[in-house]
Formats: sequence, structure tokens, C-alpha cells
Amino acid sequence: MLKQQMIKYIVITAIIVIALIAVPFVGSESLMATMTLILIYMAMGQMWNLMGGYAGLLSLGMQSFIGIGGYSLAVFSVSYGMNVYLAILVGAVISVVFALVISPALFKMSGVYFAIGSWVVAEALIIAFSNWSFVKYAKGIGINSVYRISPTQIYFTALILGLGAVLVVFIMMRTKIGLALMGMRDNISAAETMGVEIFRTKLKCYLIASFITGLAGGVMYMMQGYIMPSSGFSISWTVAMTFMVIIGGIGTMEGPIIGAILYVLLTQYLYNFPGMSMIILGLVAVVVILIAPRGIMGTLREKTGLEILSPRRAYK
Amino acid sequence: MLQVIVTGVLLGGLYAIIGVGMSLVFGIMRLTNLAHGDLMILGTYITMILMKGMGIPIWASAILSIVAMLVVGFVIQNFLVNRVLDKGDEPALLVTFGVSIFLSNLLLKIFGADNQSIVNPLAKMNVLSTEALSISAMYLFSFVVGVIVIVGLHYVLEKTNFGRSIRATSNDTMAAELMGVNTRRAYVYAMVIALGIAALAGTLIGSTFVFYPSSGTQYLIIAFGVVVIGGMGSVIGTLAGGIVLGVSQLLGGYIFGSGVQMLIAYLVLLIILALRPNGLFASATRK
Repeated sequence: MLKQQMIKYIVITAIIVIALIAVPFVGSESLMATMTLILIYMAMGQMWNLMGGYAGLLSLGMQSFIGIGGYSLAVFSVSYGMNVYLAILVGAVISVVFALVISPALFKMSGVYFAIGSWVVAEALIIAFSNWSFVKYAKGIGINSVYRISPTQIYFTALILGLGAVLVVFIMMRTKIGLALMGMRDNISAAETMGVEIFRTKLKCYLIASFITGLAGGVMYMMQGYIMPSSGFSISWTVAMTFMVIIGGIGTMEGPIIGAILYVLLTQYLYNFPGMSMIILGLVAVVVILIAPRGIMGTLREKTGLEILSPRRAYK
Repeated sequence: MLQVIVTGVLLGGLYAIIGVGMSLVFGIMRLTNLAHGDLMILGTYITMILMKGMGIPIWASAILSIVAMLVVGFVIQNFLVNRVLDKGDEPALLVTFGVSIFLSNLLLKIFGADNQSIVNPLAKMNVLSTEALSISAMYLFSFVVGVIVIVGLHYVLEKTNFGRSIRATSNDTMAAELMGVNTRRAYVYAMVIALGIAALAGTLIGSTFVFYPSSGTQYLIIAFGVVVIGGMGSVIGTLAGGIVLGVSQLLGGYIFGSGVQMLIAYLVLLIILALRPNGLFASATRK
């Protein structure tokens, strides 16, 4: 990449980061709340995209890790008085361990079997948690340890999570694993012939995604303050992730960012029409797949060659 | 114990009819219809409003519901799925996911989250009622209907020209096209049949259990379980799949308590998926 261009990118990135840091000090409270949601959803979307868009692991079960993250926050910080941030981190670690435990079984399944297999795991967790006294059955846990945390503090937590997730994907795409992933995305048999270890690459992706999705679950429930099995492990988390990635553009880095912004703004706007938001989201998703299956970024890239966070190395 | 197994087998017949439409659609176009459960529940609601709102008897409501779902099947296949099938697996899968979200929330908006049920004369009757064993008329009826539908569908697929065109498309799309089969139309037929059966299954489900707009998810997983255990695309296999799932669910409930009976069924499904990723009865030629 040309040096001038590189400097331009660094300056733009710095401006965006400074603007994001400035939000709590200059923006209104409602802007900050909206931005918090966008950042958390962005992290989830990036992880779903990492799996579905690159590794060919179309998962309908990422809500397992949202629930585990949220429940770890609830159980460890409320019942055991653990520090909130530590509890969230523990949740992410438990997510990875859980992912590792179920991966031998899940990775035997491919394609649609994997998608529904992972969904069945999440549904099984709903029933298991609803019958488990340790997590107070189906009636859920009020996370009173987070009530005194200020919205600004939650915003910064979400900011670190969101930027961290983008950074992880950004760096990954520039290492060997990123090359392997892009090869797998474009042509899996060719990638395997060139020596990509498909299974190990997929597993790495799955573990990274489970860690960050677990973190996102913790931060999300830091904001929500109450968790139940049916909400924590709800398929609607995956609906949101899928929606963001499809609208934004599957298999691109910018896609989930644009998708998260659109998703949060759209759902907030649709609050005015109770019960309509999911109906319209479903409709929009179907229409987008029909007319622009590559989403906004994919279509833009095809038409104009625009790439903002391109992982491609320059040839010049 | 005998009671549990007999009820489980009968429940399996009901599960099989839930799954058979999904199996048919998967067999012919390699599409997992994620909206299958919600479409079935849509059929249940159509039957219910015809009965409650217009006072039409249950058998006529069921037939009208089937007709309505045949139309829905035509619309979905012709205008949505057929248009994305050649773009790979994921767009088609995600279209059905979008339809699923749309439908379950539309039902929620119209009917609210309340439990509903279809009142029918068989619900409280027992065919057999002794101390050791009692058989509910509704379960037996569902089982018989399930067996008739599955055997009938199997016969149609094996013995008629229409069935041959569907099987040919399923085995090798291009060869079928070269032999003069309109594969797009075969896809539409398959979806239409699948949703007609789903409406029938939905009516049976609504007469047996309470239902609500989000029930679709649960029945999608059951349908998927039936299809996976029976082997994707195998019509007769769904009957075996339904029985395995029904018996394991009720046995699990008998041993570990009814609160976790679905958990046991899900675990059985996951174990079978992990051990035999292509289904228990999948034929060797299918990939």
C-alpha cells in the first residue's frame, strides 16, 4: 500500500476512534444508548460473519454463548460477589470451554446439519437452565450488581468490545489464518488442495467467535440487567446477527458494521409500532436476499470496487 | 413402561407426519426449510379460525386449511425459493429463515401470545382403557393418519409418472432436465405437497396439544430430528425417525421427569447427528 494512503487510513481511523470516545461527553444520553447497542451488536455480527461468511460455518446457535455470557455475569457477580468485568471475562472463558466440549460432535455435522445442530444445542440449554435450581429455574435472575454502573461506563465497555472485535477480525485477516479463511470462503476444495487445514481453521474460528460472542452476551446483559433462559438463549439473537450480516454483506468486514447500525436504528424506529419490528425485519431480509444476495457492501464492491477495510495486500 | 412405549410409538406417527414434508423438500432440492414449523403452525391457526370464527366443522376446516397451504406453498416456491436456489445453499436457507421470522411474528401480532387449542370430539376419548394401558383416541387417530399419508406418499413417488419425475429431479437435476422434466415445476409440486401435508399435520397437532405463535420452532426441531434420524429425503424413514424421537422423548420424561423430556429428545438427536451425520437410515448412495 502506498505510504500516503496508509497515512490517510490511519488519520481516518484515529478520527473515528476519537469521535467514538467523545460520544458520552458531547452527545445526548439517547445517542449514547443507541451507540452502545450498535457496538455490542457489531461485535456479535462480526463473529457471526467470521463463521458464516468466511469459515463456512453457518450457525444458528450463537445465542448459546450470549446466554452463557449473560448467565455467568448474573451468577458470579450476584451470587458470589465477583467483580462485574471479571464475571464477564469468566463467562467468555466458559463459552470457549463449552464450544470446545461440543465441537467434536458439532464438527461432524456439515452445512445445514451444523446450522440446526447448533440451534438444537441452544434449545437444549433453554430447557436445561429452566430446570436448574442453581440459575433459579425459568424465572431468571435480576442482575442487581450492574444497577449502579453508569451508562457512560457501559458505553466504554461496549466500545472496547466493538472495536476489539473489529480489530481481532482485521488482524486475523492479515495473518495466515485469514488467508486460509478467505481461500476457504472462495473455494473450499482448492484451499484444501493448497494445504489449508480445514478442520483446525474452522475450529480456531469457532473458538474465537465463541469467546467474543460470550463477552458480547455479558456486556449486553450488563445493559439489560435481567436474564431468563428463554431470553438469554433466544433464537432472536441469531436472527439479529444473521440480519446484520446479510444486509451489510456476508463475507466482508464492513458488512457487519453497516448491518449493526441499520439493525439498531431500524429496531429503534420500529419500537413505535409494537409487534411489527420482527415482521418487517424478516421481510427486509427476504427482499435483500432476493435482489442483492451479497448485501450492501458486497453489491457496492461489485459495482464500484470500493473496499474500506480491505484485507488485500497492494501490488503496487 | 408399556404405556410409555405405546404412547411414544403413537406420538411418533404424529411426529413423522410433521417431518415428512420437510424430508420431501430436502430430498428434491437439498433445501432445509427453516420455515417448516411456522408454516405448519400457520395451517393450525387457519383451521382454528375457520372453526372458531365461522363455525365450520373440523373436517371441513382441515380441508380448507390444506387448500390454503397448497396456495402458500406455490407462492413460496415460485416467487421466493426458486429465485435463489441457483445462488448456492445459503441464500435459500436464509430466505426460509426470513419467512420463518416473518410468519411467527405475524401470528404473534394477529393472535397474541395466548395458548390456543382446537376443540375436537376425539381429544378426551380413549380407545382402550385398562389399568395397564390406555390409548387416547386422538393419538391413535394421528398415528393412523400419519401412516396413511406416508405410505400414500411413498406409493405416489414410487409408482406414478409424477413421482418418477420428482425422484429423477432429486437424483440428478441435469439428467432429469435433459429427459424433459421441468425441474422448476417439480420443485413447486414438492413444496405444494409438503405444505398440504404440513397443514394436515398442523391440524392434528392443534387437536392434540396447545399451541401458540412461537410453537413453530419446537416443531421445526422435531421435524428436523425426524428427518435426520430417518435419513434426509427418505419418506418411509421418517416413520422410523418419528417413532425413535417419540419413544425417546416419553421414556426420557418417564425416567427423568416430564420437565426435561424434550431435553432428552434433543440430546438423542444430537448424539445421533454426531454418530451418523447423514442420518440413521440414510442410504449409502446419498451424500
